[in-house]
Amino acid sequence: MLSGLYLWQQLRNDKSGLAGLSIVLIFFVLAVGVWAGLLGQDWSVASGARWQSPDANFWFGTNILGQDIFQRSIFSVQTAFEIGIVVSVFSTILGAFLGAIAGWYSNSWIDNAVLWLTGVLDSIPFYLFVAAVAYALQGKGWAMHIAMIATFWTTTGRLVRAEVMKLKSREFVLSAQAIGLPDLQILSRHLLPNTSHILLVQTSIAFVAAIKTEVILSFLGIGVQNGVSWGLMLAESTQEVLAGHFNNFLAASGMLFALLIGFNLLTDALQDAFDPNQAAL
Amino acid sequence: MQYLLQKMVHGLLLILGVTLVSFILMVWFGPDQTYTLIGKNATPEQIEDIGRQLGYDQPFALRYANYVGDLFTFNLGASNSSGEQVSSILRKTIPVTLALMIPGFVLGNLLGIALGLTAAQHRGRWADRLITGLSVTGMSVSFLVIIIVLQVLLSTPYGLNLFPVRGWQVGDPLSYFRYVTVPTLSLIFVTLGYNTRFYRAVFVEESGKDHIRTARAYGASSASILWKHVLKNSLVPITTRVMFSIPLVVISGSLLIESYFGIPGVGKVTFDAITNGDQPVLKAVVGLTAVAFVLIQVLTDFVYKLVDPRIT
Amino acid sequence: MSTPSLSVRNLSVAIHLREKISTIVDQVSFDLEAGEVLAIVGESGSGKTKTAEAIMGLIPKISWQVEADAIELDGRDLSKLTEAALRKVRGRQMSMIFQEPRTALDPVFTTGQQLCSIYRRHRGKTKPEAVSAARKMLGRVGFADAERIMGSYPHQLSGGMRQRIMVAMAMACEPRVLIADEPTTALDVTTQAQVLSRLVSLASEFGTSILLITHDLGVVAQYCDRALVMQDGRIVEQANIEDLFADAEHPYTRKLLASVPRIRTG
Repeated sequence: MLSGLYLWQQLRNDKSGLAGLSIVLIFFVLAVGVWAGLLGQDWSVASGARWQSPDANFWFGTNILGQDIFQRSIFSVQTAFEIGIVVSVFSTILGAFLGAIAGWYSNSWIDNAVLWLTGVLDSIPFYLFVAAVAYALQGKGWAMHIAMIATFWTTTGRLVRAEVMKLKSREFVLSAQAIGLPDLQILSRHLLPNTSHILLVQTSIAFVAAIKTEVILSFLGIGVQNGVSWGLMLAESTQEVLAGHFNNFLAASGMLFALLIGFNLLTDALQDAFDPNQAAL
Repeated sequence: MQYLLQKMVHGLLLILGVTLVSFILMVWFGPDQTYTLIGKNATPEQIEDIGRQLGYDQPFALRYANYVGDLFTFNLGASNSSGEQVSSILRKTIPVTLALMIPGFVLGNLLGIALGLTAAQHRGRWADRLITGLSVTGMSVSFLVIIIVLQVLLSTPYGLNLFPVRGWQVGDPLSYFRYVTVPTLSLIFVTLGYNTRFYRAVFVEESGKDHIRTARAYGASSASILWKHVLKNSLVPITTRVMFSIPLVVISGSLLIESYFGIPGVGKVTFDAITNGDQPVLKAVVGLTAVAFVLIQVLTDFVYKLVDPRIT
Repeated sequence: MSTPSLSVRNLSVAIHLREKISTIVDQVSFDLEAGEVLAIVGESGSGKTKTAEAIMGLIPKISWQVEADAIELDGRDLSKLTEAALRKVRGRQMSMIFQEPRTALDPVFTTGQQLCSIYRRHRGKTKPEAVSAARKMLGRVGFADAERIMGSYPHQLSGGMRQRIMVAMAMACEPRVLIADEPTTALDVTTQAQVLSRLVSLASEFGTSILLITHDLGVVAQYCDRALVMQDGRIVEQANIEDLFADAEHPYTRKLLASVPRIRTG
């Protein structure tokens, strides 16, 4: 059972977890800054000469079009959070819902249907799926998000299903049934809250997966269409680095790495906090 | 016997499911192929003709049935872009993809197991902390970044300039080594962090079991405990992990590696097909992947029986 | 007065868990005389198992703290030995049998392999020598078909059989001290008797002293010479069997004895 206070007490002693959380928060503040129109607004302005070295005007230099790499890097923080949050939240919700239903009605046709669905989605090559969804949507920008949500939920779904199956036979469920509570209420009020530790960790993991996936999709041309992201910056840089211009690459990969490691440290800390056996040690 | 039958039914349903999803997305909602095939200045009769050929006038169920039927009879057709028979394309590209991906996949797992065992053996001490730290770092780097860095470091004048930047001119062991090394190293770097962390967790869990305490009580060294007892007892989760990461690593991974390095394997062909809307090719690849997935599941059960005497 | 087989002085075991330190074993001291069967009696949680594990050196260094003035096996202080030296002692001069036969044996190796490995490791036997020694030992713990048993995996055998295999492994090197941690708790009464009687007869034949951890007073009465009573990590009473059952001193011991159901006579 998740209690904010309990979680904080556990995290407080985890140095790397705190470091991770701080990094994530810093990036979050940057993202909000961009969203509020305060930062990174000149990301598309081609104001400098191409491939300028970092100086007082252009802190990270410019790219092939003379755009400010620093502005682009900062704007990309918002892109990353937007994709990360949308995908992780929705895929976790979907996974929790389907997983809970499958677990509650385990070994029935509902369970088999959900399991079949997870099998099918896991078997489809992911990039093909994204491309296919993009076609189906006639190129509207949501293809990437939808494809990710539609495939990321399966892990959460399986974990929630297993947990619900375990909890189903516990006394508190049996007593809830005994007093006549409807199934849906038992699921939502009693069972799902007891999976919150799983959901929190999975959301964090999905955030990381979403950002990493966007990088590759943007490189392949089926990712971010409008705006800029670290993925697009890296895609631009692939040719640049062969000619010896590394600024674009370093900026994008550096910021990406920082955010990812922040989240990964946070995820580890969350997992340790929820494990009664003090996981890492 | 009944178990085998059940497995086959499940496999069939899976393949049907995958083909249904791909059919819906690519064909039903897909772009109208008429003009791709006959160009813009076509007479109404020609358009109607092609339409009938492509089956645009037929109902959903019939078109889907034909779709699946074609797949099962290996009537894969010809590529829209090159005109080459899809089956011949697959015959040429599958071996390339296997030769490309297998070394990195195998090494990534072997190293992950070795590092996981080492970390578990020295749990809580500096070796463990180092390995765990490196794993988290590895998990935080994008595949794309790794490929770019390795390419610059190994294949360009800014680095060692020892290996070719892209391509696949392989005829003998030496040229194979030259072309496969950078992609293999990329694959290892990308998967190693995740693998190590997973295997370490498995080994630590196994190390806490009663029979390990017994082994220790009879004087087994910690090396022998880990590399003999813990490892052998962990073969089931290891098998599960290896088998079920094959679709993800080999199939999705090959798409990225091959398009980046210009290697003519199934991944590159698939990627080109995506960009060109080459449906016969995509249809075949999707079907193939689904079948491969089912085969993997069957094979996995078989491997379980081999490695664990408790499973009959 | 001969040297005790095992001599423990002021043994303490504590665990660190998220800033809290809990003492599991508190300043325990006792002697195990040569050839005797000494019972350690107490409820679950009294620290019996951790005492045994501490003597064997099986307690992990992470999170746990083990301190003792001395743990002497035939006069040799085990607490001062390196891990490498301890490994030579474990299974050879001192061995241990655990409570749960279902999980104590390695599931992926045959019992033959597990038994033989002890002969090869501690007695330097070659494979064929180890196999014949193992076969003989299995016979001595009551297996008529040693060959079949050696080729079997633990999950193919019953609990009683597995415990007898553990006895075989424990006695393979004719140890000075055998620690048996609730060896028959998980077995039914008839099997209990089989296992224990084999164990005790082999021990007296080899001159092995036994430290028998149990909460079963019936077992204590039948097989043991002396008993220690543990409560909350401390020894509250030490006495020989007649004295203990006739007139126990400590109130806790009296309570334990009183809780054994008695059949009314007359």
